[in-house]
Amino acid sequence: MLFTTDKQTQEDLNIYGKQGADSILSLFNRTATLNGCKLLEELFRYPLSDAEAINARIEKIRYLKTVKAVFPFSSELFDQAEQYLANTDERTKLLAEKPSLEKMLTSLVASNADYKQIVNGISALIEIIQQLNSLLNNTLLLAGSPLKRDEETTEIYKLLNTEPISLLLKENPKNKLHYEKLSAFDLMLRFRYRETVQQLLRYIYQLDVYITVAKVATEHSYIFPKALSKEEHVIKIKGFYHPQLKNAVPNTIHISPNSNVVFLTGANMAGKSTFMKSLGIAMYLAHMGFPVAAMEMEFSVLDGIYTTINLPDNLGIGASHFYAEVLRIKKVAKELSTGSNIFVIFDELFRGTNVKDAYEATIAITSAFAIKRNSVFVISTHIIEAGDILKERCANISFKYLPTRMKDTIPEYTYTLETGITDDRHGMIIINNEGILELLKKGKEINQ
Amino acid sequence: MSFIADKQTLEDLNLLGKYKQHSIFSLFNKVKTDGGEQLLQTMFQTPLVDSEGINKRSEIFKYFQDKQSTFPFNNEQFSAMENYLSGSSGKNYVVIFLTLAKKKLLATIVRDEEYPKIQSSLQQTIAVLNHCKTFISQLEEGEKEKQHQQDHPFYDELLTVKNILNDPKLEWLTAEKTSAIQYDLQKTAQYDHLLRHAMREALQTVMETFYQLDVYIAVANLAQQRGFSYAQALPQKANYLNATDLKHPNIDKAVANPVSFHQDSNMIFLTGANMAGKSTFMKAFGINIYLAHMGFPVAASHMEFSVKEGIYSSINVPDNLDMGYSHFYAEVLRVKKVAEEVSKGKDLVIIFDELFKGTNVKDAYDATLAVTAAFSEYRNCLFIISTHIIEAGEVLKQQTNIQSLYLPTIMNGTIPTYTYKLQPGISSDRHGMMIIENEGILEIIRSAAN
Repeated sequence: MLFTTDKQTQEDLNIYGKQGADSILSLFNRTATLNGCKLLEELFRYPLSDAEAINARIEKIRYLKTVKAVFPFSSELFDQAEQYLANTDERTKLLAEKPSLEKMLTSLVASNADYKQIVNGISALIEIIQQLNSLLNNTLLLAGSPLKRDEETTEIYKLLNTEPISLLLKENPKNKLHYEKLSAFDLMLRFRYRETVQQLLRYIYQLDVYITVAKVATEHSYIFPKALSKEEHVIKIKGFYHPQLKNAVPNTIHISPNSNVVFLTGANMAGKSTFMKSLGIAMYLAHMGFPVAAMEMEFSVLDGIYTTINLPDNLGIGASHFYAEVLRIKKVAKELSTGSNIFVIFDELFRGTNVKDAYEATIAITSAFAIKRNSVFVISTHIIEAGDILKERCANISFKYLPTRMKDTIPEYTYTLETGITDDRHGMIIINNEGILELLKKGKEINQ
Repeated sequence: MSFIADKQTLEDLNLLGKYKQHSIFSLFNKVKTDGGEQLLQTMFQTPLVDSEGINKRSEIFKYFQDKQSTFPFNNEQFSAMENYLSGSSGKNYVVIFLTLAKKKLLATIVRDEEYPKIQSSLQQTIAVLNHCKTFISQLEEGEKEKQHQQDHPFYDELLTVKNILNDPKLEWLTAEKTSAIQYDLQKTAQYDHLLRHAMREALQTVMETFYQLDVYIAVANLAQQRGFSYAQALPQKANYLNATDLKHPNIDKAVANPVSFHQDSNMIFLTGANMAGKSTFMKAFGINIYLAHMGFPVAASHMEFSVKEGIYSSINVPDNLDMGYSHFYAEVLRVKKVAEEVSKGKDLVIIFDELFKGTNVKDAYDATLAVTAAFSEYRNCLFIISTHIIEAGEVLKQQTNIQSLYLPTIMNGTIPTYTYKLQPGISSDRHGMMIIENEGILEIIRSAAN
């Protein structure tokens, strides 16, 4: 089963970002090859929902990180190889017999572009395959490497060491090939064993991605999460932070079926949205088997992630914004009713309606979500009153808040999660700071 | 000084904007000439603040509505004339004659197009001027039966135009009315000199008056067609407003409501469910106040009002998240801005729709109560404040100058219906939960509960 998510979530978490702007993808998007970049995007599009697969990928990247693996290939080789392989026209096939004198003369006068491409492609492939072989022997398949257990790697290794690919290993790429050999390799690489060659290349692109990710993990000192089986229903993340923020404050959270609803309160600038985004990004990357911005992470694999952080306001504020929120909740509800265990984030639930409706709706929705013990919900709201009722009704809600410390009348924020419901009441403080009531009072006196 | 309405208010009420859907400007923009449209825009941008000016303008509208005339030109005729009159061939007759002679020569030799162009626009202009003359005498004729011609509110302007067109220097106009043949060079030069040089300013006045006529006739006809009426402006100090059957001018089948304010009852505390029509009522009120200050027809069967200095509304306050402002903070800043204006002692109309959304219940209650009470001390202003915090209304009842009104919801089974008719009192109707229930969300979640 696939790990499900949607566009709204990816936009909220800034997974792909807007064109040109920084995103989570661009954080990792430093592959050497173009096809590696495409593969990376694919990994982002399809996170995994299987603990074994996740852990296997994590193992590989972790190993590459420990041995400080470097991608040994030059990216031009792949351009030549791919161009060469893309030419499937049988008429360009190098014939087995020697070309006639006439043809040789023609090619002397006007060089044949196809022929040149074929020669370059073949020697590029020879170089690639030889380098792959030494990479496997010298790094990937050393004793203690998790890749030794990897089926795919074993298969690749076997392919390299059996004919016909093994023939390529014997060539010296610096020497010019004889025409007979060229035509034999052309037939083999481009036509007869085309799929095998492509499989080898795909493996290399994947290595490119993993080596890049390992490098990024080293540079940013990200850690590798541990995926637990679906049945355990726990999430433990220590010291996670937003990967795109400088000086981000780390936080720790522990979620189990007895505390699977996080009810988050705090003033507007206290960092609720950033906290939720950091958590969402960590969960997303972890389900890809990627390193995360945290100190430690263990998580039970879930079936999907749905966030609602910046619901577009294009419907107009008021009843229609409220309705957009209602529809979003309905979507999540439908997902839940299929029995999936999902990770749900709602920021400022029901901010589009009046406080009374928001109060009732927050209680109703949150307590309904709370029944779903195997899913995880993080809900932030400014309606602190709803928290008091929810505390009585549901035992599995964990109340967290981001505090505001008042320095006289200037608020300061710690960005560090604490347990409980904040009673920070900033509304009246802000109104008082703006001096609205005094303004009106003074004006009245002057006018009289 | 002009009537104040800031950008937020103009947006809330959707007043301006030619290309904006359903803007009030585009409702009234039925004029035929570009000049008329510009004039209408100016009127929309600068409502009036003196009751005399307002009443005089509405008198003119009324006059044209009674006459049910049609503006006899289209935009092409007028812009051709405007183009022609704004150009020039020379400063005196001799220069003009020589210039035109040269152009004529060029036209004959190398088929230069300028000379024929001048000739044809001259002819068009003469035709339009003749038409103007006829139109004015027609207007006058209709007036003859009436005893006091001078009472007619647009009399002075029309008289000026009539005198210009009957100037002896333009006597030849009538004679050229039917001439289809081309004028010779001498005649062309003579007329060109007269129209574009000697009479230039006078003819400018004629055009401007006709732009006004265009606006008056277009607006008057719209008022007739929509059944609008004209508000009576009263001097500023009274703080009185009375309107019957007030409705939104741009909504077909809008429900009409009466509104009444005076010195000792200058604030409406409005409650009702989300879709019950609170915002529409507030917008309708704001738009009609604005139109009334322009001297324009209003969507009410009767309206009297003391002139105000401006209007501020807070209906759709956008949150500026880019600047790190939350919705709540954006609202607070808006209230602060209004408070600054009110505390300067200005006579204003204030509209606040559902204040303090993005905060907790307690703060919303405290803030609504404190702000409403502070504003209500200003008896020289008119306020409409809507909210869901009915508890604030119960406390505010002690203030004698607050009228509590609500827009009811009538439940038809689980389907809410709305009357859109104001009732005295406070309503606790809400249906945010109903929307959630109608979508069946709670059932969906529970359906697979384990």
